[in-house]
Amino acid sequence: MRLPESDHELFERLRAGEEQAFVALYHRRMPAIYRFALQMGGSASVAEDVTQEVFLALLRDGCGYEPERGTLVAYLFGIARKLLLRQFERRRSDLGLDGGSEPAGASEPADPFDALADLAVRERIEALRRAVSSLPRRYREVVVLCDLEEVDYAEAAAALGCPIGTVRSRLHRARLLLAEKLREERRGREPVPAWKAARCEI
Amino acid sequence: MNCEEYWGETAGQEPGEPWAAHLARCPACAARWAADGSVAEGLRALAADTKNVSAPARVEANLVRAYRQRYGQPVSPSLGIHRWWAAAAAVLLAAAALWTGVRQPRRVSPGAMPAVATAAAAEEDEAGFIPLPNAAGGLDDDDVDLVRVELPRSAVTALGAGPGDDSDAGTVEAEVLLGPDGMARAVRFLN
Repeated sequence: MRLPESDHELFERLRAGEEQAFVALYHRRMPAIYRFALQMGGSASVAEDVTQEVFLALLRDGCGYEPERGTLVAYLFGIARKLLLRQFERRRSDLGLDGGSEPAGASEPADPFDALADLAVRERIEALRRAVSSLPRRYREVVVLCDLEEVDYAEAAAALGCPIGTVRSRLHRARLLLAEKLREERRGREPVPAWKAARCEI
Repeated sequence: MNCEEYWGETAGQEPGEPWAAHLARCPACAARWAADGSVAEGLRALAADTKNVSAPARVEANLVRAYRQRYGQPVSPSLGIHRWWAAAAAVLLAAAALWTGVRQPRRVSPGAMPAVATAAAAEEDEAGFIPLPNAAGGLDDDDVDLVRVELPRSAVTALGAGPGDDSDAGTVEAEVLLGPDGMARAVRFLN
């Protein structure tokens, strides 16, 4: 049985002019890059632009990918991050996630009797999504990379240009912040004490 | 070690025995640890919830176009087997739409077929896609899927569309843009 080609092999082939290799690499890596850009950039249009630019970068002469310095995945996330940072600088403020749009992968409850349970799960997921989007950027990117996209710490470190220890500690801090934010949100949803009824004499 | 030092020790790693012992005697850290676990569980659910999210097909279409500008036509054009069924359906839809949209009551000599293709090509967009007559929706405003297909040249010329080539031999490579409803929106002939 033939093993699937590595990212690096696909990269070599695409640079040799094999469109099929380019398309294969795109299909393999695009979803994670797109989701990273979506979670970090806060809008589908930003995510789309960033994804496109990341893969266009592979076509440029001297694209900057050096296998001895890290994997192609780390390189792709690194490019995406740089593009997002440029966007942030332009806007000077971090955006939240697209609150209004439902992710394409969101599923409907299969059984109507599970609807309430599903609603509770959805609420929890949405609360967490809001909490992630409100994290400071350096914490958000490690959460999105390591927790949501399951990129390993070494690759995340290469993509972020920092030591592995920094990734670990940021991730730890980010989770604490998330727990704190979720607690705050839960407190915010607790019912407000009722006003004392009073007769209006006017 | 104090609590913060314990937390620092475990940052991003599986906790060891000293940590477990600390949790057993420190209710504050135990509560915090439980909250941390619940966040991890929530993050897994969030990851699962978004796992099917991906870029719209127009991004791939743009990239393939950029690739061809950079490297020329594909060296080994082929299509994933799993997409053949969709491709076949798309071609039938595209062919039917082309047929109903472009046919005109006229006499056509066998050598004059490409005239319709020329007329259709005049309306093609920047990417070379020819919008199919009666297709609902635009090409840019929503989620489209790109399907690459090969058609017998004779089938294309019989419809009075396709690349201007009098020969009926061989196949024609085409790309079809499918809307989210599965209907073909536009077609582009590659050779």
